[in-house]
Amino acid sequence: MSVVARKETLVTTDPNIARPPSNLWRDAAIRFSKNKLAMGALVIVALLVFISIFADVIAPNPNLARPIDARKFPGEAGYVLGTDDVGRDMLKRLVHGARTSLIVGLSVQAIALVIGAILGLSAGFLGGWVDFFVMRVVELFTAIPQLLFALFLISIFGGGLFNVILAIGLIGWVDICRLTRAQLFSLREKEFIEAARTVGVPPLQIAWRHLLPNALTPLIIAVTLGVPIAIFTEAGLSFLGLGINEPTASLGKMVGASSAYIRVYWHMGLLPTLLIALIMLSFSFVGDGLRDALDPRLRK
Amino acid sequence: MKSDKKVRLNRRTFLRAAAIGAGSAVIAACGGGGATTAPTAPPATLVPPTTAPTLAPVIPATAVPAPTAAPTAPPAASAETINGVTLPADAAPPEYQTFVTYFDISADWTSPNQMETIYKSGGFGSITNVTGDTLTRLDKNFQVQPAAALSWEADETGKAWTFKLDPNLVWSDGTPVTADDFVATFRYAADPTHAWDFAWYYSAPGAIKNWDKCVAGELPLDQLGVTARDAHTLVVETETPAPFLPAKLVYSEVLSAAKLKEYGSGLYTAEPDKTISCGPYILKEFKPGQRVVYEANPTYKGTNRPRIQKVIQIAARPEAFFAGYQAGEVDRVTGEGLQTADNEIIARDPELQKQIRLTAADFRTDYLFFDCQNPPFNDVRVRQAFSHIVDRDTLIKTIITPTQGIPAYSFLMPGFPASNSEGLKDIQNYDPEKGRALLKEAGYEGGKGFPKLTLWLRNEPQIRVALATAIAAEITQEYGIEVEVSNKEFKTFMDAINAKPTQIQFGMVSYGIDFLDPSNMLGVWLSTGRHNWFNKTFDDMVNSAAESTDQEGRIKVFQDAERMLVEEAPAVFIYHRTVADIYKPYVVGECFEPNVAGFAGLQWPGFSSMSNSMQTLYMSNEITKFRDKPPA
Amino acid sequence: MVAYIVQRLAGLAFVFILVSIVAFLLMHATPGGPFDEPNMPLPPSAKANILAKYGLDQPLHIQYINYMANALRGDFGYSFSSPTETVAQVIGRTWPISITLGGITVVVALGSGILLGILAAVRQNSPVDYVVTFLATLGLTVPNFVIALWLILIFAVQLKWLPLGGWGDDWRQIIMPMVALGMGPLGIAARYTRASLADVFTSDYIRTARAKGLAEQMVVMRHAVKNALIPIITVLGPRIPDLITGTVFVETMFRVPGLGKFFVESVLDRDYPMIMALMLLIAALWGLVYLLTDLLYTWIDPRVKLT
Repeated sequence: MSVVARKETLVTTDPNIARPPSNLWRDAAIRFSKNKLAMGALVIVALLVFISIFADVIAPNPNLARPIDARKFPGEAGYVLGTDDVGRDMLKRLVHGARTSLIVGLSVQAIALVIGAILGLSAGFLGGWVDFFVMRVVELFTAIPQLLFALFLISIFGGGLFNVILAIGLIGWVDICRLTRAQLFSLREKEFIEAARTVGVPPLQIAWRHLLPNALTPLIIAVTLGVPIAIFTEAGLSFLGLGINEPTASLGKMVGASSAYIRVYWHMGLLPTLLIALIMLSFSFVGDGLRDALDPRLRK
Repeated sequence: MKSDKKVRLNRRTFLRAAAIGAGSAVIAACGGGGATTAPTAPPATLVPPTTAPTLAPVIPATAVPAPTAAPTAPPAASAETINGVTLPADAAPPEYQTFVTYFDISADWTSPNQMETIYKSGGFGSITNVTGDTLTRLDKNFQVQPAAALSWEADETGKAWTFKLDPNLVWSDGTPVTADDFVATFRYAADPTHAWDFAWYYSAPGAIKNWDKCVAGELPLDQLGVTARDAHTLVVETETPAPFLPAKLVYSEVLSAAKLKEYGSGLYTAEPDKTISCGPYILKEFKPGQRVVYEANPTYKGTNRPRIQKVIQIAARPEAFFAGYQAGEVDRVTGEGLQTADNEIIARDPELQKQIRLTAADFRTDYLFFDCQNPPFNDVRVRQAFSHIVDRDTLIKTIITPTQGIPAYSFLMPGFPASNSEGLKDIQNYDPEKGRALLKEAGYEGGKGFPKLTLWLRNEPQIRVALATAIAAEITQEYGIEVEVSNKEFKTFMDAINAKPTQIQFGMVSYGIDFLDPSNMLGVWLSTGRHNWFNKTFDDMVNSAAESTDQEGRIKVFQDAERMLVEEAPAVFIYHRTVADIYKPYVVGECFEPNVAGFAGLQWPGFSSMSNSMQTLYMSNEITKFRDKPPA
Repeated sequence: MVAYIVQRLAGLAFVFILVSIVAFLLMHATPGGPFDEPNMPLPPSAKANILAKYGLDQPLHIQYINYMANALRGDFGYSFSSPTETVAQVIGRTWPISITLGGITVVVALGSGILLGILAAVRQNSPVDYVVTFLATLGLTVPNFVIALWLILIFAVQLKWLPLGGWGDDWRQIIMPMVALGMGPLGIAARYTRASLADVFTSDYIRTARAKGLAEQMVVMRHAVKNALIPIITVLGPRIPDLITGTVFVETMFRVPGLGKFFVESVLDRDYPMIMALMLLIAALWGLVYLLTDLLYTWIDPRVKLT
């Protein structure tokens, strides 16, 4: 495609006609870095990831249980954030719990994104029989009770992190698929797509370079909202005996386990909930920042 | 309030922290917990007695003394109720004699009669089995009392028992209760098409004659060893002598022969418009998953006449039981319904503490168990090593809390016949040093070479998950063996444990009594029981003692058998549960006086035809301070 | 259009069959059965009796065929947990209650969520925006059993303004379940609405509309919302059957006798007839919701072609 217009004066929004070749990602990065909120959230996310990777160094022995110290409040007996019902240091448990929960949340969303985006793109863009088939698969997966599927998967293949992630992720792609598909329905009729098609850009390239970035907004929201939902689903499964075993910590499990204690030992439920909220907020703001940064129409 | 470490997002984190901080302040205030005060030790009266005198054997020798009259409350001039009971002087008027409780909203409902189903009656409330009389019932000292059967005796062989039935018993439609009703009930229980879920119960030990064959369909039901000699005489024959048969027969809530014939099953008891009752109550209202109401049966002519005129049960979620109790909706919450934090709130409030009544409930013992047929637990030294790792005193003090249980070094709880806690408590004592030495002997020094274990739990609430986690942590810390704890869903667990061969290598579970005889509890460990420990000597001892009519001799044999159990350690016993129920102050009665073991709550089996506690439980006139009108 | 709808309904029938087979296989492949012994093991003959009584001893394909044959005639069998009621009776009795609670919650929660989202998008990056985002996050991260318990403790036990629970005899019984149930969907609705609207506000046709001088409110209402609706509907559509089929925690905490608890209980109890019936119900409900949302796409954005 030839590009001759001067970039300052043209107002058309098609990135491929409007300006000389420039790196979408580099521009996005620059724009992102100017967004104070998103940068702050990114710092938190980076911090969380760092803590998760080095959890064993930062908080060694989270499973050291001293029943004598059971259920201490924050500040008692030298425990900064108190202890849980088995006498384990809450601070260490939170660090490791954050790690497990991040792994669960991110992996589940990764699986969901891959499956959902691919299926959604195909359905939305190609339409016809592909769409029909994909929608039937979507309806099938929606109808199967997640609990039954998880019960089946885990009682046959055993519990543990991997199987739990599979159990949640293999069902959780449905929303992303439908979102992608819906966005594509409205986008594929737009003029710049028509233009690209007319010029002869291959469909796959159209999908990848033009459609996907524009479909991103709701996808990003879905992924960031999906993280705490995945965390709580994992907690629910653990509660029913289908999840991650003790003594491995996870924030969702900690919240669930606190239900027997919340009326008095509020710290056992409040602290993991706060941390989940922190994770979710920071991912949300990063996601918002990404969306703003990647949106080609915002460019001046 | 805690400040976050991220400076860049001041406004947001501040907003969030402020709101949640305010919220948690509200939470803490409502919870009534002082953040820094240590929980006070429970008052002496609430700590369950650790050295309870062992109950005398419950089996009456042969003849039973004449039925004692109903407990004599001073018959002051007071109201008389619809079922002919005179209320004590301090009782509230009859319309206030209503007992309101909760039951678990997720329970199944099939029938409130135990001969129809045992395991699916929970949906009819925590109070069931009140619409028929049973042959025998228990008092608060677990002594067998006459009920529908006024007297009984065994013949010389010890295998045939004659029960004389109460001729006054009558169905609420006017027809009399006869021995034929009992015969029909037992035949129905054994009937393969009915497929009773408790069918193992009348099997060995103390099996009814031909029970197993009838259940298997090999013999017609009229061959079952339960027959009617005349209208009010029932004969029960057993395969082997079973001196504890009358104790077993608390599970014999009679169904109507006529209705069984008319409807083809006992499910008529589940529908208020079809059911008839010969017992103290009649089912008046049933909204599945919501509400069950029983009313005192005015036509009841038996000996278990209740003072409470109406029983209202509301389905709710256990997490919300105590909140409802505090709101004044119910008159009691059972110990199983109280969450850990509820118990903490109670422990900090002297008024609430006074309302606690402690019971031994069903003498339930929690224990670790092993797959004794495969390595590494087929080596008795390994099992014994594990038996020295449980620091029961600390665990009870810190995790279980002293009102919820007492340490268990053996299987039978103090107070249960043949229990020998004192004599056995040194065998599985807490001694990690000894444990390490044993492991070394078995070739696992420092845990080397020991496989990684997964401790299976059976759908336990958080308090026992914490217990298991603490034990697992100690195993790791002291023995160097890695242990994970997996709280399995109920059916997955039972499926695995009942599989042949068993699929659980290392697990924790509990057992509570079905009837009050050592052969019941120890029967769990027979080769035919649910664990895969096979010890012929143990089997012989328990089976021979079960059949023996020598009262003292059999106790001794049971104790020897239990000693072998403790020494061979197919199980490591952790604690016996004591159940702390909480009752409003206006719920009173002689049934709450301490029994011989020192427990002052409503003893097992609780408020049902299987116990005589309903004869004495009533609402005092203090109730008017709590309720401005009778509950509906 | 009619052809399309017919095509979709035919597809739904196909999915029914597929779903029933998959569910049936999953159910039976999962360890544990409805009549497992909780205490002592039953003698094999007694166990065999139980299985025979409920037809569970027959080969799987026979069981499946029997079930489907009956189901097509409207007979969904008796629940294993409550043999005096048929599955159809239980569902018929509990579903209207869940619909009522769910329906009202949908309107209130999704409605408020969307309004909040619009508010936040219009006042982007202002304090209002932050508060809305914060509320939305709160709604999603605090688990609903925590919300439920605190609602009960504060409003029913301490203040005594609201009843503890139940259904049918007091209009105030709906308030707490609705709040506990609706917090999550409110959060989702607010977030998606705000994000989609913010997106759309910056696009070209909005700038064109503004340049033409239309009043700000008209811009918001007519153009922006309509186009932002597509992703919103995509996500919110399924929340409706979610709410209508109830959630276990909220219904059981507040003693609302709805359908929600059976979704969990039937699986845990291995109540096969109930599991099958519930799954067919869900398949029908969601199939319809998906169809409706797809049709809505075309109404909102006429350029969308569905085939």
